[in-house]
Amino acid sequence: MHAIKPPPFSHFDEMLAWSEASPHQQQTQFQMQLQQFGGQSQSQSQANAQTLDARPHYVPYGNWLADTPSASLTHRRAQADLLFRRIGITFTVYGAEGGTERLIPSDVIPRIITADDWTYLERGLTQRVTAINKFLADIYHDQAILKAGLIPRDQIEGNSQFQTKMIGVKVPHDTYASITGVDIVRNNDGKFYVLEDNLRVPSGVSYMLMNRKMMMRLFPELFLKQTVRPVEHYPAMLLQTLRESTDIDNPKVVLLTPGRFNSAYFEHTFLAQQMGIELVEGQDLFVKDDYVYMRSTNGPQRVDVMYRRLDDTFLDPLAFNPDSALGVPGLFQAYAKGNIVICNAIGTGVADDKSIYPYVPDMIKFYLDEEPILNNVQTYQCRKPSDLSYVLANMKDLVVKEVHGAGGYGMLVGPAATAKEVEDFALTVKANPSNYIAQPTLSLSSCPTFVEAGIAPRHIDLRPFVLTGREVRMVPGGLTRVALREGSLVVNSSQGGGTKDTWVLGDEEDPAVNASESK
Amino acid sequence: MLSRVASHLYWMSRYLERSENMARILDVTQSLAMLDRSADSGGAMTPIVITEAQAEFAETKLTATYANVIAFLAWDKKHPSSIRNCIEATRENARAVRGSITSEMWENINDTWILFQEQAKNIDPMLTGNEFFEWVKERSHLFRGVTFATARRDQPYHFTRLGTFIERADNTARILNVKYAEEAPDSFEEKEVDKETDYYRLSAVLRSISALDAYRDTYHDVIDARRVAEIMIFDAMLPRSLRYCMDEATKCLDDLPKDSGRIPRRIASEINAKLRYGTVDEVFDYGLKRYLADFLVDMERLGTAVNAAYMELH
Repeated sequence: MHAIKPPPFSHFDEMLAWSEASPHQQQTQFQMQLQQFGGQSQSQSQANAQTLDARPHYVPYGNWLADTPSASLTHRRAQADLLFRRIGITFTVYGAEGGTERLIPSDVIPRIITADDWTYLERGLTQRVTAINKFLADIYHDQAILKAGLIPRDQIEGNSQFQTKMIGVKVPHDTYASITGVDIVRNNDGKFYVLEDNLRVPSGVSYMLMNRKMMMRLFPELFLKQTVRPVEHYPAMLLQTLRESTDIDNPKVVLLTPGRFNSAYFEHTFLAQQMGIELVEGQDLFVKDDYVYMRSTNGPQRVDVMYRRLDDTFLDPLAFNPDSALGVPGLFQAYAKGNIVICNAIGTGVADDKSIYPYVPDMIKFYLDEEPILNNVQTYQCRKPSDLSYVLANMKDLVVKEVHGAGGYGMLVGPAATAKEVEDFALTVKANPSNYIAQPTLSLSSCPTFVEAGIAPRHIDLRPFVLTGREVRMVPGGLTRVALREGSLVVNSSQGGGTKDTWVLGDEEDPAVNASESK
Repeated sequence: MLSRVASHLYWMSRYLERSENMARILDVTQSLAMLDRSADSGGAMTPIVITEAQAEFAETKLTATYANVIAFLAWDKKHPSSIRNCIEATRENARAVRGSITSEMWENINDTWILFQEQAKNIDPMLTGNEFFEWVKERSHLFRGVTFATARRDQPYHFTRLGTFIERADNTARILNVKYAEEAPDSFEEKEVDKETDYYRLSAVLRSISALDAYRDTYHDVIDARRVAEIMIFDAMLPRSLRYCMDEATKCLDDLPKDSGRIPRRIASEINAKLRYGTVDEVFDYGLKRYLADFLVDMERLGTAVNAAYMELH
């Protein structure tokens, strides 16, 4: 039997909750398991007033865990590692010497979301992504939101992610972000917050799918105990979304990858294969008379829709970065003429920039005339002098990020940093304040996770993938990332993060118990 | 199908075939080492000569002992055609197109690479080499078997097979070229060699292309140098003979898009015609060494034409 380390009293844990002790109740096997771990002192100190138990939607899983011999679990974890390695589910770490291809650790304890929580998240995500698409169409055409004075003009036009070449370019159905990965966390108040909207080339969905495949293969009995809503149809949904992005019947759809040295190469091959579309590199394509073709063994073939996993600036050396060897010369011209659809559209990065993030609730009100369903995290914009001085004075309590940063690079987590690191980062921020934003340190919710010492709480986030075709769609759940180092809040795979299978429970369960505290 | 994908598949199987052939050559080298115990023997260099790695080997400044040669050809990281590098190149090519091959094929070759990295640590060229070479052959057989059993018979499959047979024909010609032509330029029949050593050398050559049993079944007679050449060049049923390889390569090309394949198909048919309608007597009248040199030039022309027809990114 695996001992489980209880979460700190102040954390919101997805699986475990402290509650009033009822002295007459017999201890369940699961509770005894909780007390086996070294950290008994805490449970003892709470013993008189509080006891720890699984939240209702985790009870079937908790019971299963209590009943499963630890040797069996250890065996199946080893099997999972082996399978991941064989299948080659890897990502590439930049800047690392030698063995740059690494496995992404996948934890076997699932993150479970109640049906009610998901209904709430799905509504909020649909609203948010709809508003962002309207915002993108607006700023590249009428700019009504700037004229209304809701966002300062220089915030958009001075933004390096704003593609001036896209002004006036007609994007089919005004769908700019066909694929969005929204990073969501739950704070210790039990509420969900959106951390950022990834609108350029969000990745990670293949890990969501592989985690599920692996869990079903290794723990089939778990899926008989509870209704876990399926996610396996994501590639079909994505293909439908891509096909809907054009008005052409039976379009030729391809996936453009930077190649096998890209960190997400596994995902590119996986998705292309699952959708049954061609995986192409820039060198496989050429433009003739403003149409895009791929070089095939049968001669040139027209391409109608491109799901690109390559940043804007590399897409076309004639239109953007002239040094790009990864792109296709003339692609932008073909795109601007409407002869190919590129998903996501060029120039979406302006809306997921951290300096624009604070305005998303305003966008929702402006374009949809609705109250935002999902919470934003309070954000200090260092470009504002008052915010800057607040940030500099409180840096050790804040998370400070580069506005264009991604992947957990170029950021400072105040509470985890040394005085020296804070001091150094303050100088960097002062040198270029408009390049930074800061947010209060959220205490990301935790979830029990296998670590060397046994099962212990680790912080997690959630990235659902929102698809926009003729309508907004998503599979229930998303990718749960977990910070494997004790106490760490950084979940990025490049920084020692792992992943978990994410279960959204079916409606016939009655998980409403938890719903009140999460909204 | 993308030209780049065709190229990766073709090279994937060429590299795997090359690793297998290297293992075959080294396996034989290792057993010949037991016959030939003189330390500075030229025999140790034979596999280096077959695979044209003289310059690379000279750079290592190692002495030409059997152990050094085997270690160099098996797992030297700097030698592009070492077994190690061939397996890695196979896996890298497969990884570049893993969506175009079956998941069984990918998992098999990925597994081979993972296992190789674990194995390589504990190999002593003279002690456990044999086991290792057997393993390399087995992994190659396994991949071909997985391909045979899981791949759809469409373009990716044909390109994969084309790579196998072009590489294999090239290799068989090289083994024959070095083993014979070097030792007895034109009329080796008359050359007086120690009969016993000759028997072992010839049977080793046959073993290196899995042809010893076939030889016995075909000729029911002692191993004779002329017949060894005949079976390796002209046998229509032996899977590593030049004739068989070119029959298969021609078939693969016939299954690929015909419009772009005109030139490689013509060259392959020309090579094939020489094998179909040739005899071993003609070969020896012409000179075996010259004949094989011509063949290798033809194969190079074919390789270039295949590349230009399907894989070049114009």
